Amino acid sequence: MTLLKAEHIAVADGATTILQPLSLHLEAGEPLVILGETGSGKSLLAQAVMGTLPAGLAATGRVSLGNRILDAARAQDFRRLWGREIAVLPQEPWLSLDPLMRGAAQVAEAHRLVRGLDAAGARRRAASDLEHLGLAGAGDRYPHQLSGGMAQRVAIAAARAGGARIVIADEPTKGLDSARRDDVAELLLAELARGGGLMVITHDLALARRIGGRMIVLREGRVVETGQTATVMAAPREAYARDLIAADPESWGRRPAGPRGAPVLAASDLAADRGGRRVFSDLSLALAEGEILGVTGPSGCGKSTLGDTLLGLVMPVSGRVERQPGLPRTAFQKLYQDPVAAFPRHRTLGRTLRDTAALHGQTSNRIDQLLTRLRLSPSLLARRPGAVSGGELQRLAVLRLLLTRPRFIFADEPTSRLDPITQREVIGLLTETASQEGCALALVSHDTALVGKTADRVISLDSCPPAEDRTGNRPVPAAV
Amino acid sequence: MSDIAVPMHAPANWGRMTGAALVVAVLAFALLGPLIVPGDPFAQSLMKALAGPDAAGPLGYDHLGRSIFHRLAYALRLSPAIALAAVVTAGAAGLMLGTLAAGRGGWTDRMLTVLADALLALPGLLLVLIVLAMVPGTALGFWAGLSLVLWVEFFRLTRAATRDTLASSAVEASRLLGFGPVYIFRIHVWPEIAPMMLTAAAFGTATAIMAIAALGFVHVGMRAPTPELGLMMVDLLPYWREAPLALLSPVIATFALLLGLTLLAGSRSA
Repeated sequence: MTLLKAEHIAVADGATTILQPLSLHLEAGEPLVILGETGSGKSLLAQAVMGTLPAGLAATGRVSLGNRILDAARAQDFRRLWGREIAVLPQEPWLSLDPLMRGAAQVAEAHRLVRGLDAAGARRRAASDLEHLGLAGAGDRYPHQLSGGMAQRVAIAAARAGGARIVIADEPTKGLDSARRDDVAELLLAELARGGGLMVITHDLALARRIGGRMIVLREGRVVETGQTATVMAAPREAYARDLIAADPESWGRRPAGPRGAPVLAASDLAADRGGRRVFSDLSLALAEGEILGVTGPSGCGKSTLGDTLLGLVMPVSGRVERQPGLPRTAFQKLYQDPVAAFPRHRTLGRTLRDTAALHGQTSNRIDQLLTRLRLSPSLLARRPGAVSGGELQRLAVLRLLLTRPRFIFADEPTSRLDPITQREVIGLLTETASQEGCALALVSHDTALVGKTADRVISLDSCPPAEDRTGNRPVPAAV
Repeated sequence: MSDIAVPMHAPANWGRMTGAALVVAVLAFALLGPLIVPGDPFAQSLMKALAGPDAAGPLGYDHLGRSIFHRLAYALRLSPAIALAAVVTAGAAGLMLGTLAAGRGGWTDRMLTVLADALLALPGLLLVLIVLAMVPGTALGFWAGLSLVLWVEFFRLTRAATRDTLASSAVEASRLLGFGPVYIFRIHVWPEIAPMMLTAAAFGTATAIMAIAALGFVHVGMRAPTPELGLMMVDLLPYWREAPLALLSPVIATFALLLGLTLLAGSRSA
């Protein structure tokens, strides 16, 4: 049964079309995956179908839901469908739940105000919804007392309370590690099994594979490929879809081990605390030039703390870090998860890079050479960090590090905000840098496949107990 | 959801424009007025007591026959000058101490915060009065007292914003790259606090002008015969029925100046 049919949906910003006309239909019991990189227009598509486009963008096309036909250009008509027909699963649930309301009350509120039940009935329904999702005890807790997974389930219960049959999930796994990513996929599929429609928008290939159903691949506002998810992922017909799927770390080839140089850094019996909690102890490691060390583990397990300890930004509780004598402090560098946050935001990138080059006694020729080598356009230098795409900015961040002639780079989730193709480029660049510049690299990622294919050695920090689900306290999500 | 950036059209900032226009108009009157119509703010002529406007005194005369126009122009030079000097001193002190507190942390931070909080607990006007009693010279006393009251606001703003900025990954990255504190202040901290400083400076100037006028009004600030906004108002108050324009002139000028400065400061959220 077709739950939703969207025909010739297009989005324009003034005179420029940023999403070419496309049609889709959503069947009961069959998920639809919209796959695409950042800037491909996949979120715009969802917003056009829901009538929530930002001001200034105009949609055209027709959306039919059951026997109702709506004009995508008239966004206000969609308003009464929200919650009743279409539910949107928020991206980062602990940010979208009310921090001052208990879980059950948030679900009951939706039952009362959207579905129109009386107070007692709404409370009863909320309790049974939560029990159904395996959250019987969580109704009395505030969002900060819920783990990420539990918060997500409360959010989905609240989103579905209005009786919506169609769930739209926009990047539901953004910022989650692989274990929790599978939980989210299961949760979405369980909702689907209750006889609804599901539309998942993602750039996460692993999530797409788990969700299955049908798939639409978008690029630069155009449909590149459509078909059964399993078929598209196994044998993509179009070059772009092939690239996208080949960029999944699962399908990368193993990196051959490069030549090793002099030792750079050694740590012995390290232990570190964060927020009053021991995150790791008895950790020893040594790194030589050209070597790549992988660090994995679920979020909140001290991966970033390890980096800060190795770089000397925090003191270890016990143990010692020995950096190769004779190397300047600036030979030890860090690559950040969010490159936008790592650049001075009021200064153009060119000026920041020239400052760095001047400080390290290098000419701006060297910047030009590196720009060519990192396949970056010199025109980017006139922009500020906020006006450059994540992939380009991360490459510029690598360029900035190279100006200091680093011997050790701690790359803290350098690609977790990038789409697969850009991710492969950035990781390729980093491994290339390690072997060409003779630089040791510690590569942190929650993606075990990525680390496994790239690193010479892997340290897994998941031996420490993820305290969250046991104590009910969620570690603070990484600062953005 | 930031797949495609939506161009934002900055709304025309009418508030700030109006504020700037008001402040410029008042200052133009103060600086240029006496050049266009020459006269002496202190010259008395009892024949003209409470007389209406004429060519030599476009705003009429007060109870001692002094030209309101020239007294007002003089008063509008005095108060803003003291206020501006106090704001510059307070801003510099607050900026330095705030950056120091945020950068050093620990005991430095704690002592400075306690000092600022202690000053905040005293009513500002009382503090100015105490300093006025201790410092010889009224203008100097106002400058010292107002600086002492105003630096707290600059200190608190600078400390809060600088702390956040210094804890950011951008600053950590710059430090790892080898940049020193001066570069970090110039490139990371200053651009964040500069707009706040300008807002706080406009508010501070308004507060200072208000304080000088308020103390003048209760006869504990500037001494007669110095033309000062508060003194002029209280001197002319008994004659409001005979010479309403004489009383209204300093009131309107003060109101326009304070409104202009407040609008210029804009809302803090903007």
